[in-house]
Amino acid sequence: MENLKRLFDNNRKIVEEVTASDPEYFKRRAGKQEPHFMFIGCADSRVPLESLTGAAPGEMFVHRNIANQALNADLNVLSVLQFAVDVLDVKHVIVCGHYQCGGVKAAMGDQSYGLVDYWLAGVRDTVRRHDLELRVIASPEERFQRVVELNVLRQVYNLSRTPVVQSAWKRGRRPLLHGMVYDLQDGLLKPLALHVDGPEKVQELFEARRESIGD
Amino acid sequence: MTEAPRVVDRSVIAAVRKLPEAWSSWRTDLPASIVVFLVALPLCLGIALASGAPLFSGVISGVVGGLVVGALSGSQLMVSGPAAGLTAIVVSAIGALGSYEAFLAAVVVGGAIQLVLGGLRAGVLGYYFPSSVIKGMLAAIGLILILKQVPHAVGYDTDFEGDQSFIQANHENTFSALMHSLQSIQPGAIVISMVGLALLVTWDLTPLKRIRLLPAPLVVVLVGLLLNLVFKSTASSWTLESSHLVALPTPASLGEFAAFFSFPDWSALQRADTWRVAVTLGIVASLETLLSLEATDRLDPFKREAPPNRELFAQGVGNITAGLIGGLPVTGVIVRSAANVGAGARTKLSAILHGFLLAGAALSIPSLLNYIPLASLAAILLYTGYKLANPKLLVSMWRQGVTQALPFVITIVAILFTDLLVGIAIGLSVGLLFLLIEHSRQRCYEIVSPPGAVLKRVRLHEQVSFLSKASLAHLLNNLEPGSRVEIDGSRSAHIHQDILEFIGDFRQTALLKNIELRLVGIDLPPPGPTH
Repeated sequence: MENLKRLFDNNRKIVEEVTASDPEYFKRRAGKQEPHFMFIGCADSRVPLESLTGAAPGEMFVHRNIANQALNADLNVLSVLQFAVDVLDVKHVIVCGHYQCGGVKAAMGDQSYGLVDYWLAGVRDTVRRHDLELRVIASPEERFQRVVELNVLRQVYNLSRTPVVQSAWKRGRRPLLHGMVYDLQDGLLKPLALHVDGPEKVQELFEARRESIGD
Repeated sequence: MTEAPRVVDRSVIAAVRKLPEAWSSWRTDLPASIVVFLVALPLCLGIALASGAPLFSGVISGVVGGLVVGALSGSQLMVSGPAAGLTAIVVSAIGALGSYEAFLAAVVVGGAIQLVLGGLRAGVLGYYFPSSVIKGMLAAIGLILILKQVPHAVGYDTDFEGDQSFIQANHENTFSALMHSLQSIQPGAIVISMVGLALLVTWDLTPLKRIRLLPAPLVVVLVGLLLNLVFKSTASSWTLESSHLVALPTPASLGEFAAFFSFPDWSALQRADTWRVAVTLGIVASLETLLSLEATDRLDPFKREAPPNRELFAQGVGNITAGLIGGLPVTGVIVRSAANVGAGARTKLSAILHGFLLAGAALSIPSLLNYIPLASLAAILLYTGYKLANPKLLVSMWRQGVTQALPFVITIVAILFTDLLVGIAIGLSVGLLFLLIEHSRQRCYEIVSPPGAVLKRVRLHEQVSFLSKASLAHLLNNLEPGSRVEIDGSRSAHIHQDILEFIGDFRQTALLKNIELRLVGIDLPPPGPTH
């Protein structure tokens, strides 16, 4: 109970502070939202999304789940995506993973964690698919990081295959898809794939990858 | 054993079925043609009188309209002949050209122009006459028939039969003639027309209607003729004098008959005036024909569509023929066509036979025809008028809403107070105006984004004509500053140049109003020089 009370107390304190310097702050934010970004991230509590990008309220439309999945059969993420693209007209859709992701870790091992095993089937698939590339990485720590990155790229690809993005691209070069990773250690965002704005860009991305690993 | 003869029977039936359809319907078409002939006869004479042309020229025109145009036309029910709508043009043309023979040369050239118009497929214009205007024209002609025939029905025969103008040839107007007619009522005429009307209204209720060879209008004429003979034999004051009867010229000899024909004076073709008259005739006669054709198609109980370009061709040949032998110009005519439909005609055989009858009657029994009282014919035309201007039609038009009812009513009023062609021109303008209004209200786009979306997505329809500019302008000009809009023309097969230019201009406006404009599948022309 103590902890929950703290949330309310903090909330009240922050509102007082903000309204003291800017009395209209919250009223302004209550108007129409026209965010430019949609963010698909991990549910992990160690990723302080707003504070690490400095995004103000109204700037970012957020969807978070375990291991930042954008599955083509997940009605939840598809609805969020459709609303963001068709209604809010966001310009950027960002998939952001993070190193030391518990979901990815779980998908790499044999341990069973219950319901989440089903959810992570896609990540397990990614691991198997990139077996050749991963096998040559000696350090387990680096292999873990690589799977996190591959998972993000996989989700960018998934997004590019959704009807919402496909039909939006047919009408123009929007939205732009981006893949990036957050490093819990130093707090920095590391870009993986930026400005994917059409099928050719998706193709390019995966051609380049195939060459780099000699597949 | 009985099989073999049946097979023979079938082959006979098949052979009979192969006979031209036109000749198989003589049972309905022959009586109808007699009615049309009786109605046409005084109209031909009246129009010739009003045109300031020799009386017999109207009959020649009627014969050509029946035989030549009737045979060539693709319409099953339209009757052609001299038209009241052309009288004003004919009077002034004869005056301007100096002689009837010179005028005939212009008629021949006018016919040739119609051939050219038919070749250029100008007949499709007929498809664009708004339905409300055509219906208004029919109703107006019905009303004109009633208003103009009432004086004839009561024996006030100063105006010519078939006049359709508000200002009549005898310098009265429709209503003053009505008033005057009430002051000079001929009791004999009233009796004849009332008996005629009563016969027409009740005939279909009696078993007599089954005698197809004896249609009611024919009975009306016979009864009227007999009644007047009875008046005459009893030396009654009700007797109708020759001024109230059909007045077909009666030649005493064959030589005198030959003198009824006149021939074109080709030297007139050296004058520009002749060509001007020819062009006017060619165009106006074509228009009147196309209108009549549309109107007759409406009246056709079998809803057949007549080919308009073939009609122009038939009319052209008809006018060349009429001009060559001294007839007035022909056009398709609605009153006779309506009488044709009303008398139960089914095929063009009726129109052709009416031509034969006109020719035959003029040759053989002119003096007999001159016993027919105009009041009898007035009764037939009053009844035709009532059928055309049926109050039910008015009610049904009213129910179709203002965009249909207003052009309809305006057409009626305009025709009643001017004449057929001027009235139609007014009606068509109003009809087209309403068409424009209706179409400009029609949206050329769909908003495909969900309500409240930050980006308003506008998808243009398959066909975006310049008429839809108003609706698009309304949408774009009402956008809030700072909003985003996408115009998607990728599914449009055709976008009119005016619309493209409008969107191009809006791109500038959007910049000023801070509106984010995105175009999809629209290739804008490069911005031209600013004016």
